[in-house]
Parts: sequence; structure tokens; C-alpha cells
Amino acid sequence: MILLKLISWQYVRKHLLRSLLTIAGIVLGVAVFVGMHTANQSVLTAFTQTVDRIAGATQLQITAGEAGFEEEVLERVQNVPEVRVAVPVIEAVATPETRSKGNLLILAVDMTGDRSLREYALEDGDDSFIEDPLVFLAQPDSIMITQEFAAENGIKSNDALTLNSMDGPKKFVVRGIMKSSGLTSAFGGNLAIMDVYAAQKVFGRGRRFDRIDLAVQEGLRPEEVGKKLEQILGAGYQVESPSSRGKQFESLSSVYGMLANITSLFALFIGMFIIYNSFAIAVTQRRSEIGILRALGATRGQIQVLFLMESAVGGLIGAGLGAGLGVLIARGMAGSLGNLLGEIYGVAQKAEEVSSDPQLLAGAMVLGLITSLVAAWIPARNAARVDPVQALQKGKFQLLTAGENRTRRGLAFLFLVLVGLSLVYGEGRLIFYAGYFLSIFAGVLMVPTLGLWLAKGLRPLLKAIWPVEGALAADSLIQSPRRTSGAVAALALSVSLIIALGGMTQAAYASIEEWLRIALNPDMYLSPSQNLTDRSFRFPAAFAEEVAKLPGVRRTQFVRTVRLPVDGEPVMFVSLEVASIRKEVRLPVVSGDGDKMYAEAAAGRGVIVSDNFALQHKRKAGEILTVNTPEGPLDMPILGTVVDYSDQKGSILIDRAVYEKYWKDDSVNVVRIYLDEGVTVAQMRDRVAAQMGDRYRYFVFTNEDLRSYILKITDQWFGLTYIQIAVAVLVSILGIVNTLTVSITDRRRELGVLQAVGGLRMQIRGTIWLEALTIGAIGLVLGWVFGAVALYYALETSARDLSGMRLEYSYPFRMALVLIPVILGSSFLSSLGPAETAVRGSLVEALEYE
Amino acid sequence: MSKWLWLLVAGTLWAQDARQIVEESQKRHRSRSQQYEGVLEVYDAKGGKNEKRWQFARIGSYGESKSVLRFLAPPLVKGVALLIHNHPDRASDQWMWTPELNRDRRIALQDRSTRFFGTDFSFEDLEERDVDQSDYKLLGEVALNGQACYQIEATPKKTRASQYAKTVIWVRKDILLPVQFEMYVKTELTKRMVHRKVEQVQGVWSTLELEMNDLRKKTRTVMKTEKLKYDMTLPEERFTLQALRRGE
Amino acid sequence: MIELTGVTKRFDGKKQVTALNTVNLRIDKGEMVSLVGPSGSGKSTLLNLIGGLDKPSTGEIALDGAVLSGLSDDALTKLRRDKIGFIFQFFNLLPTLTCLENVSLPLHLRGWKKAQIEERAHELLTLVGLGKRLEHLPEELSGGERQRVAIARALSVYPPILLADEPTGNLDSATGVEILGLIRDLHERLQTTVLIVTHDKNVAESCARQIALKDGVVVQDRRV
Repeated sequence: MILLKLISWQYVRKHLLRSLLTIAGIVLGVAVFVGMHTANQSVLTAFTQTVDRIAGATQLQITAGEAGFEEEVLERVQNVPEVRVAVPVIEAVATPETRSKGNLLILAVDMTGDRSLREYALEDGDDSFIEDPLVFLAQPDSIMITQEFAAENGIKSNDALTLNSMDGPKKFVVRGIMKSSGLTSAFGGNLAIMDVYAAQKVFGRGRRFDRIDLAVQEGLRPEEVGKKLEQILGAGYQVESPSSRGKQFESLSSVYGMLANITSLFALFIGMFIIYNSFAIAVTQRRSEIGILRALGATRGQIQVLFLMESAVGGLIGAGLGAGLGVLIARGMAGSLGNLLGEIYGVAQKAEEVSSDPQLLAGAMVLGLITSLVAAWIPARNAARVDPVQALQKGKFQLLTAGENRTRRGLAFLFLVLVGLSLVYGEGRLIFYAGYFLSIFAGVLMVPTLGLWLAKGLRPLLKAIWPVEGALAADSLIQSPRRTSGAVAALALSVSLIIALGGMTQAAYASIEEWLRIALNPDMYLSPSQNLTDRSFRFPAAFAEEVAKLPGVRRTQFVRTVRLPVDGEPVMFVSLEVASIRKEVRLPVVSGDGDKMYAEAAAGRGVIVSDNFALQHKRKAGEILTVNTPEGPLDMPILGTVVDYSDQKGSILIDRAVYEKYWKDDSVNVVRIYLDEGVTVAQMRDRVAAQMGDRYRYFVFTNEDLRSYILKITDQWFGLTYIQIAVAVLVSILGIVNTLTVSITDRRRELGVLQAVGGLRMQIRGTIWLEALTIGAIGLVLGWVFGAVALYYALETSARDLSGMRLEYSYPFRMALVLIPVILGSSFLSSLGPAETAVRGSLVEALEYE
Repeated sequence: MSKWLWLLVAGTLWAQDARQIVEESQKRHRSRSQQYEGVLEVYDAKGGKNEKRWQFARIGSYGESKSVLRFLAPPLVKGVALLIHNHPDRASDQWMWTPELNRDRRIALQDRSTRFFGTDFSFEDLEERDVDQSDYKLLGEVALNGQACYQIEATPKKTRASQYAKTVIWVRKDILLPVQFEMYVKTELTKRMVHRKVEQVQGVWSTLELEMNDLRKKTRTVMKTEKLKYDMTLPEERFTLQALRRGE
Repeated sequence: MIELTGVTKRFDGKKQVTALNTVNLRIDKGEMVSLVGPSGSGKSTLLNLIGGLDKPSTGEIALDGAVLSGLSDDALTKLRRDKIGFIFQFFNLLPTLTCLENVSLPLHLRGWKKAQIEERAHELLTLVGLGKRLEHLPEELSGGERQRVAIARALSVYPPILLADEPTGNLDSATGVEILGLIRDLHERLQTTVLIVTHDKNVAESCARQIALKDGVVVQDRRV
């Protein structure tokens, strides 16, 4: 379209900075969208790849949640005629004492049969081979590493490699180095192979396997064999293709994806205002140009299309830049996400390659385009409606008409009524979210009016302090609500987001701390792993029993946490002696009879579920929860729901005796220890050390250690929300810059007069600064108000769809106060550039400016 | 595991027909029981040497035998033992005992081309070869190390997948004992197995030293047999998992 | 006293334009001078240079002996504050401010006390005959009234020099005469040096000294 080049390009060229600022919101929104999703996908892909690479020729994998199962299952599987080969697997993550950081994923297999499934690339090379397979099997300290890992850490064959194991930090001997292959590239090369029977000992598995990998007889369909195996083994076992494990991981990282969507949508939403703002201003400024075009025969439709085309091009450029930026930031995000998932879920994962899905990029482009088009829709329509005759007459710009404002106020009121109704009748998810969005729209629609009121209210104050600069700054806002309300709205939305997140964080911390105080009250803990969420290592029951007998120990509780599928999703089962727990811990009851539920659970006649499990899985006390165990389905009544933050995806408290009976697993993840009066943690630490010697590997955590560890993880989780805050503030700051850039152009003459009649540069700057500060202040005040509503919705959303945490509403006043310097400070910073531009221009031109 | 041992004690009676020659050798070496001490020397391409010593005992006849193999040296594998129960109608059961782990394990079915514990033998090389699994062709009579031999080509039947396209066997005419094997993958000669020392033990011609050469990797494995005895009385109880665990 | 020595002003654009070419000029204190010439002759440029709104490409301008070219932007502004009042063709009143506020503007910028400002602003508006329209916004005034406010603003601190760029150019002729009368009156009462750029023959001829410019060069300097 020739008009685009002739007309629009000239305008853009003249206002290059502003045009760039206009699309900044899209750039950031798309960048966050692409960045976070790419990171998420990369970690997911890396996980799936690791699974695939480790799976080799495996067609089916048999698991029983994370609980594992007894060895005899292997023989049962091997005896199924349709199974060609079935091999046992234990998978664990250990920390090697090597130069390179990062964990080692240990794949423990039965080397005598495993090569039917996996290619270890041992044979056809000269220098990469297993030194002596017989020695490898005979010696439990044998380990095989990848060429990559060996090179990175300068390890040769027969070198020692120290891994932290159940038997204390244990020296392994590298008895094989795998050549590069698909397998060795799994987990970024940080892969080690060892004998599955040795691993049972090292990782405290007893005579159990984590998994069986198998391939079916040639010509048979794995799905059918899988079904048959499920029948033979019972519902307690999951027989799945290796790739379906990726799906489980996906459900763990889905919260992150949701967060990514919220953040980017928010950024785009705010960006939309900036675009709307810019286009609205451009239409006003280009009225005469539009008039000329119309006079020359352009139709209304052509004018509208011209502006829409401009916004489309802008949107695409913004989305393109954003996508590029997103890919750049994805790498860093992927790293931290991998760590986070490792910390929270104990599923260590690192993304080696970060690459964006073309579909995601295309989606991002579409998102940017749509945002831009929607934002420009109304200005484009207004442009089309410009009357050529009026437009060609010189005169001051049309101000926002009273009618327009009335319509807005009317709509806002209507929306508020609807929001009210949605709150009263808002049980349904759709109605709830509709109310959420309507409340945002209502707020946005009220911004011009409220902003105007606030600006008018502030004027006397400003004028009293700075008679010229203050009054002019306020007037600038009062005179051009169209110019400023976009920026104010963007800022107010950002502030409301921060208030909502801040309130949520504050509430979450409060309830987590409360939970820590109640639930984690033992004096000390023993864990087989330095990382408390890592369930790779376990204590044998004998260890825990030995600890329990030590003098000075008042009470111990053996905890075994394990993720098991419920409704197809992995859910954390916490098995411990409920009778003992009930004497020390009373989790806040949400529903059910507190005394009765513990008594019944202790008797093995049911389970207690966490409130977040109940919310996410839509379960209520009194219902029957059917858990598939290796021993067959187990029907457990839900005795009650309590507040428990053991896991974001919910947790189920089950008595240890029941767990042991049905899963035949008596291993222990954590030993909770209550001490006799007068016995210190330090004393007990020594006693445990004296008793255990170096027979076992264990880590002692004091009550304080554990709390700070959990709070650290909580911090990391909420750290993600700071990205949202940063993006929101950044976008709205760009909005202010944009508005001011327009403002100084509009007010060029006024500023020129000011200088002509004796205004010093400092005074000119002052009025721009004050304008920015006033926008900041108005945005802040409106944001505080909107935030109060947004917080309500954030808490509800979190409870309904994110974490299942039911949190108390408490307005984050401290956060609100902290925002004063933050927002005013950044408003001020955003005005520095425009203020300089304002004092640099030619006075003569400014005075003649029309 | 014991399957390959028949090679060491291959029979001496050979018929003129290629198939009969092979069949006859299997009949000839049958014994009620057998016991010896073996030494296994694995030489890598650079001339490095890895030596293992073990004790072997077998009872029962071909196809239904039970054997125990217990490593004596080097120290890293000392005490590791294998128990094999052969069945005429199905794959053998194999267990391994590892004293360091203090436990036994069932050895899973192998991919037949897999190397046998780091030697140049593959599991297939060590199997008891049923005569009916191959077709045989007498290529002629040639001299090998001054000994007149039949040269027989064995081609696996379609029903019995093998890593080898064919194997050429030299059988000494005088004692009907195979003394050299050459294995082909596709058309490439990949392995050569030579019976270097052949002696009569209790009237049975037996191979006391065997060398397997992997021609592609340029590695070789030498196996020596010492204190070989046939047809002694061995308690059945020795060939059980319980005995394996006790370290007998 | 205003003294211009070899003042040249060039504008750099696609084509270089010389708006003023080596102008030498001396205007004594208390003179009332008109600057005439066709469009583009450089008369507005000359006024802007004298007012310190713009800087000459070469040459020097001195106000009461102070050389403008040597001054920083802020020093120039300060000099302008004390010595010069501007009157524009389009008035350049700030539309959001009342008459009183518009007139008070330069005083505020000088940091005067509030009471002082109010007193002076009243005084000035009374001086230009608008003592009763203090709280009106510019858009509520007629053209002549607006120019009066602008003049009052220009007089804020009774500067010794008043620069007027087509002060009557946007007014009907009756009002023009009225405004010119006001300026002349002020010139006489306050002994202000007045420089008027104008197209209007009548305005030009009412000045004691007439300077005519053409193509950036002074072509006539006539005292009546």
C-alpha cells in the first residue's frame, strides 16, 4: 500500500523514538511470552530427551509411582511370553565431588542384560570401553561415565570418583567410559551407569527396583502388551511408554507455563494501552494530514485501513523484536527453571539446548499483531471519522468530549454491577474469570475520569509548592486526558499487579511460616540427602530404628514421601506414624473432625488430605479415595482436609503401616527427631555420629535449617513473580516515557514561551519532571485502589487454579508504601530523557510551532 | 556358560559326510561329569594383558547339564561364581553370585552377539551348537600346521538367526577334532579361533589351549585348561543356588 | 543600548539560507524602532537574535555592553529576564492559566514572593487596562485583550527593552491602533527601548526610527 510508505513512514521517521516506544510493550510482552515458554519447553524437551535417550530401545516402562517395587516383579514380567526382554532400572541423582558443578544422573541397570535395550557404545571404539565387565559386576564400586563427563573433569579409567551415597561419601572407581552416543548426551552428559544391584545398596533401595524397562516380542504392539502387563500386575503398576513420562513432568512445570502466560498477557495488555495512547495521539496530531487525504479522495475505509496497517506493521515489528529478545533471555531462564524444578520437585533437569518452537514464535507474532490491532482499532475508527473540513481548519486539537467520557463512565458502572453480580453468583469458573476481566475493564474505563479528578485535586497542591512548574504540569494532564490516561492506566494496572502479587506473597509467607511452626516442630531431622526434596536416597528402616533407640531421643517419626499417581497425576504421599504425629502436630483443620480424623488415620482406616489437594482434585472429606497399589486397589475414605504445604500439587497423609503393607516399602526419607528435655541438637548430633560411624550417609538438619531451607525454596518460587513485577513496571515506565515524549511535542510552544519570558532550563525540566511525577502519583493511587480488587482475584485464582493455597486477604500496606519511592523514582527517571529533549530544541521554532 | 566348553573336549570320531562329522564330534565328547581349572588371558590391541583364573565343574549330559564356574583370580573378581542349568527345550537359566554385594542375580537373556564378559568370545561363540542349526558343506581336505584336516563350511539355517554369515571349520582327520574356526560377518572374516594345544586326557582328545582372535579390533583371548578330569563323582547339591550362595 | 557588529545568521537545511548578512546596527536606549521588510528579509531573525532566543552564526550582539555570544544558555535567560520583554503576533499566552497567572509567570520564574507577584501583576494588568479581568482564561478574551495581557506579561519587571514581533498582525486595524497606542504610551512613560517588527506601514511610520531589511541586509535606516 503506497499510502503506508508515503504517509505513515514519513510520520514514523519523524517520530522514530516514539514509534519505538509505542511498540515497546509488545516487545516486552512477546519477549516474556517467548522467553518463559521457550525456557519451559526447553526444560521439558531436555527432560523428554533424557528419558528418550535413556530409554534406548525400551518400548514400555513399568513403575509403581515413585515407590518402586520388589525384585520378584521382574521375574513375573520376564515370564510373560510377549516380553522379549525386561531389565530392572534404578534411577538416582547424586552429587559427585568433581570440578564441574551439577549433579550426576545415575542410571543403574543390569549390565548382563541391559544392552539388549541400550547401546552403550563400548565395543567399536579403541579407547572407550568397559575395562572388564566381570570386574564391573563383581565390584559394587564400579561406575561407568560418559566421555563428556570424563573430559570435563579430567577423569580416566580406573580413577576414583567420589559420590555421596548411603554409605557416606563413597569412592567409586570408573570402570568404563562411554563413547559419545545418544545415551551419553542424556542429561547433558552428566550420566553415570552402575550395576542395579550395587545401586540398591548405595541408594538404600533394599531388594527393590524403581522401574522395569522392556521391549516386546517382534511383531507385537507395545500398547497391547502393556495392557496385558497391567492386567497381570494389577492397577498399582503403571505400564507406559517412555515418552509418557514427559507428560508427568509437564504437569509439574505447568504452573510455570501458566505464570508465563499471565505475565506476558499482562505485559501485552499494558502494552495495548500504550499503543492505543500513541495512536489516539497520532490521530489527533495528524488530523490535518487526514483531512488532506480525505479531501484528495481517500475514503473513510482507506483511512481506517491505513491506521490499522500501521499498527499491524508496528505489532509485527514489535513481536519480531520481542521474539528475538525472548530467545535471548530464555537461556538464563531455562537454567533457573531447571534448578527450581529440581529444588521443588526433586526432578533434576538441565536444558542443554534452548531452541524455540516455530509454532511458539508464530503464536507470539500473532499475539503481537492482535494486540496491536485491537489497540489501534478505536483510534483508527476515530481517524476515519475525522471531518475533512474541520480538520483543515487550523485550530487547537479536539479535546476529549464530554460525551465520550459519559459513555465510559456508564460502561464502567455497568461492568461494576456485573462484577458485583459475578461475585455473588460466581461459583462457576467462567463467571468468576468473566468477573475478573470485567473488573479490569471497569477499572481501565474509569482511569480517565478518576485520573482527571486526581489531577484537578493535585493542581492546587502542586501550584502552591511550584507555582509555575507545578501548575503547568497539572494543567498538561488536565488538558490532555487522552494523552495521559493510557500511561496512567498502564501504571495503575502495574501497581495493582504488584499489590496483588505482594499481597499474595505476604499471605503465602504468613501461612507457610505458620505451617512451618506447626508441622515442622521436631528438634532435628536426619536426611539421607543434602537436598531434602530429592528422594533418590533413602534410609533403610534399620537405620531409623537405630536412631530411635538412642538415649535422649524422646520421639522419632519415620517419614517416607513418594509421588504416586492419583487421577493420572503424580501426588505426594506422606507416610508416617500418624499416631505419633498426632501427639506433636495439629495441622489446621479445614474440614472434618480434627481428633477423629487423626485417630482413624492412625488406625489405617483412611487418609487425611491437604486442602490444596482437595481443591485441585475436587475431592471432599467423606469421599473415598481409591489408590492403586502394587497389592491392588486400596479404598481409603478421606477423613478430613488440613492445611499442609508439603507439596504444591497437594499431599496425602497416610499411615506408615498402611503404606508399608501395600507398597512393601519400609525405607525412610526423613527421620523426625524430638529430643528429651535438656538434650541439645549438638549432643544428639554427636550421639548419632558415634552410633552410626560411617556405616550410613546422613545429613543432620536442625529445625532452623529446615525452615530456612523451605523458606529459601519459597523465595525462589516467588522470585519468579518478580519477573512479572519487573516487566510490569518496565512497560509502564515506557508508557510514561512515551506520554512525555508526546507531551513535550504538544507543549513545545508553551515551553518555548516559558523560556522566552525568562524560564531557566532547570525550570523547564522541572515542569516535565513534575508532570511525570504527577502521572506516577496518580497511577500509584489508582493502582493502590485497583490492587485491592486485584488481590482478591489473585488469591482466588491461586486457590482455584494455581497452587490450591487458600490464603487470607490482607492488604500489603508495607508494599504499598515501598511503591511510593519506586514508582515516583522510576517516573522521575523516565522523565529525564524527555526533559532534556525539551530544553535542547530551538526556541525560535518552538515559538512558531503550530 | 558351559555351552562353549564342548569345544574344548570335542570328540574325535568323524564321518565322511560334513554333517556327520560335526554330529559325531558331539557324541564323542559326552561325559558324565567334568572338572578343570581354566586361565583366560585377554590381550588388547596395545598388547596389554588381563588374566583370569577359575574353577569349573559340570555334571549331567549334553543339553541337560549343570555347571558351576567360580573365579579364583584376579582379586577383584575372586569368588564371583556362575551357575548354569541347561535345558533341552528352552534357554538355560543362569545365575551369578557376587561376594562383594553378598547376593546372587539372575543373568538376563543375552543378545547373542554380545561379548562374553570382556573376552573376544561372544555369547553365541560359546553356545552349544545343535547340529541341526546349520547346513554343512565339505570344502575339501587341507593341511593345517602339518596336519591333514577336513575343511567344512557351516551356514546357519534361516530359522536360527546368527551374527555370522558362515563359519569355516578345520577338523583334524586323524582324531576328528576341530582345530580351527573362521567366522565371517557378511563377507568379511572377523574372527579366528585356533586350538593351539590338543592332548588326550583320560582317553579323550581335548583342547587344552585355545586362542580367539578378533581380527577387526586386533585383540585376542587365550584360554588354557589345566587339571582336566572327566567322569568323577560330583554331588548334585553343588549345582544349586544355595551352594552358590555359600561359596562352595 | 543594543549593538550589533557584523551579525550573520545562516540556517542549515537542505540548502543553506543566509537570513542575515553582516548586519551592523546600534540602537540607543529609549529609541522606538520599527523593522520592516518583505517576508524572509530577516527582520524576525534579527529580533530573535537580539532577544537571545537564537544565536548568530558570526558577529556579535551586545546589550548594554554585555556580549550575548559569550553567555551560557542560563546566563542568557537571566539577561533576558532582566532586560527584555517579548510581545508575539500570536500572543503565546498559556491557555490553561488565567490572565493573572499568565502575567505572574515571569515573576514566578524569577522566584519572587507571592505577595509581591500579586501586587505587580495587578499593577501591570491595570496598566494595560485589564484590571477587572484578572481571573479570566485567555480564550475568554478578545484578540486585543489577549495582546494586552501579553504586553503586561512582557513588562513584568519593566525591562529596558521591549521586542514586539508583529504585535498587531493578528488584530483588526482598530484594535491594532489601540495596541500600538499602548506600546507607544509605555515607551514614553517608562523610557523603554522598543523594537517592532511589522508589515504594517502605519505601525512602521509611527516609529521615530525605521530600519528596512531586504535579503538579510539593512537597506534603509531612517529617523523621522
